[in-house]
Amino acid sequence: MLEFSQQIINGLTLGSIYALIAIGYTMVYGIIGMINFAHGEIYMVSAYIGLLTVTALTVQFGVETVPLILLFTLVVSIAITSAYGWTIERVAYRPLRGKPRLIPLISAIGMSIFLQNYVQIGQGARDLSMQPLISGGWRFGPEDGFQVYLSYMQVLIAVVTVGFMTALTLFIARSRLGRACRACSQDLTMTNLLGIDTNRVISLTFVLGAALAAVAGVLISLYIGKINPFIGFEAGIKAFTAAVLGGIGSIPGAMLGGVILGLSESFASAYLLTEYKDVVAFSLLVLVLLFRPTGLLGTPEIEKV
Amino acid sequence: MNRFNRHVLSAAVSAVLLGLGGLAHAENTIKIAVAGPITGPVAQYGDMQMMGAQMAVEQLNAKGGVNGKQLEAVLIDDVCEPKQAVAVANQIVNDKIKYVVGHLCSGSTQPASKIYEDEGILMITPAATNPAITQQGYKMVFRTIGTDDQQGPTAGHYIADQIKPKQMAVIHDKQQYGQGIAEEVKKTVEAKGVKVAMFEGVNKGQTDFSALCTKMKSENIDFVYYGGYHPELGLILRQCREQGFDAGFMGPEGVGNKDISAIAGPASEGLLVTLPADFSADPANADLVKAFKDKNQDPSGPFVMPSYSAVQIIVDAIKGAKTEDPVKLAGYIHKHSFDTPIGKVAFKENGDLKEFQFVIFKWHADATKTPVK
Repeated sequence: MLEFSQQIINGLTLGSIYALIAIGYTMVYGIIGMINFAHGEIYMVSAYIGLLTVTALTVQFGVETVPLILLFTLVVSIAITSAYGWTIERVAYRPLRGKPRLIPLISAIGMSIFLQNYVQIGQGARDLSMQPLISGGWRFGPEDGFQVYLSYMQVLIAVVTVGFMTALTLFIARSRLGRACRACSQDLTMTNLLGIDTNRVISLTFVLGAALAAVAGVLISLYIGKINPFIGFEAGIKAFTAAVLGGIGSIPGAMLGGVILGLSESFASAYLLTEYKDVVAFSLLVLVLLFRPTGLLGTPEIEKV
Repeated sequence: MNRFNRHVLSAAVSAVLLGLGGLAHAENTIKIAVAGPITGPVAQYGDMQMMGAQMAVEQLNAKGGVNGKQLEAVLIDDVCEPKQAVAVANQIVNDKIKYVVGHLCSGSTQPASKIYEDEGILMITPAATNPAITQQGYKMVFRTIGTDDQQGPTAGHYIADQIKPKQMAVIHDKQQYGQGIAEEVKKTVEAKGVKVAMFEGVNKGQTDFSALCTKMKSENIDFVYYGGYHPELGLILRQCREQGFDAGFMGPEGVGNKDISAIAGPASEGLLVTLPADFSADPANADLVKAFKDKNQDPSGPFVMPSYSAVQIIVDAIKGAKTEDPVKLAGYIHKHSFDTPIGKVAFKENGDLKEFQFVIFKWHADATKTPVK
């Protein structure tokens, strides 16, 4: 039972990261019906910004207050990464608006390769690593037996994830811009005719997605402590899977999909073999899509007349 | 049409010029390709290989080169990817380079070696330890390092005789090198009655191992052998120690790198590693060690001296056999022995060293190592 709860903690931590990235995929898809394959790279860029900022603060300026470092790193990373998200949309996708779907998709793949190589040239192709900023945690269970370990970092990941997701959900549900987002996702042309600047809304979508990926990137560089220019690919594929699993286009779906994917990987590793964790995760995806082609929380796309 | 013709003409002219340039170059230098990872997650090992080969080229050139020609090391990046290694091997063939020091990772050495064998290029790997590489019946392939069927048993016997674990786990990265050596270790310890309770693969590039750590902790594993490279083991150590899993760990030479301490920090203290003997501690190499230190380089990495030796063997063979034909050189190398920084070496029929020793080291959190008796 104790092992089981430890595996749930492991899975939820992993799932939170997937969910944060998955939202970027799902929001872009919901509004312009396009898969932004460069999104994984956005996350990778933010992991770099996170690691470099933390190192600069602690080593260069000797800051020791952990909450201050954390807050500053998050703000810097969100700001720069959002700028990346905005620029990518402006440069690689906006000129292709209204073209057949495949064209922006190829452009996205190109952007992804560009970003990978750009970071590789700028920062080197080698692993960068960092010792944990926040260490320690709580232990539960018998002194001489199996103890469940919940680290402060894992709690931080959960809290930050839930916080940002609540903020996003409130933003989409309550604010004027959020309403514009929802309108765009229902019918882009009609929304445009009604006098809403849809280009602005689409830019906003990219910025929001990038901001959440930035949070994930900072958290991962603090939690794992080892990054390289290639981490965006795997994380991107996993998050994309999470988005499809939950129902692409649905924000709660992306959150649910991320958590389910994280938990299934963790359980597969625990009760089967570690080498099967991806097999199990992706079989689950196939199964869900066989019975619910729109994903767990997705709604079928109605042909627009 | 006109424009098209002009392009064709300019392409032809530049091709001729480039070709001539190549020819002019070939007359006064002997090129040795040094193929290994210059970028990517295991580029640190590539550094050791390049450093050793370049030092050899420099010192041999200072002594007047060979047959009045200067040597030239051509560094080529294969990122330790099997696919990339094939492209690199073809590039070497196209560039008409006749000698290769490399590759580094077993997974990329294997496919590349076939091309060298078919094209009659002499290949000496200073680092790839998977036994399968020299079991293909090739005549052009050599190595200046031991194999995993020597390294695996060295580790296995030490575990069974000295550590005597009750419940052991053997983890690997599913790559040719990692899984190969993990299987050797498993075979050796099981023959001595040690129970291997877990034998599992992780993914190359995987970053979250918390579920694996929990599993090992709940299965009461008291010793772990990891077959693979340092990026994954570093994270496994860090995440397992954090969960309070305190079993001992051991790995092959692919984890014995300063970066494991950069990743794992204090968790890398006490890690056991099998490495080639520290040739830089051999008094016979004192001058060479000084030459490295003068350039601010570290000669103690496991592949530095084997790589130096590989270049030296090629050059000694050219001098001894009085030919530059790689096929004849391969025959000469099979029949003779060579004095190198890794000792006096001679080769078996299949291209493996007749003798090679792996030594067990204990790793420390400050990235230093001490030999274990």
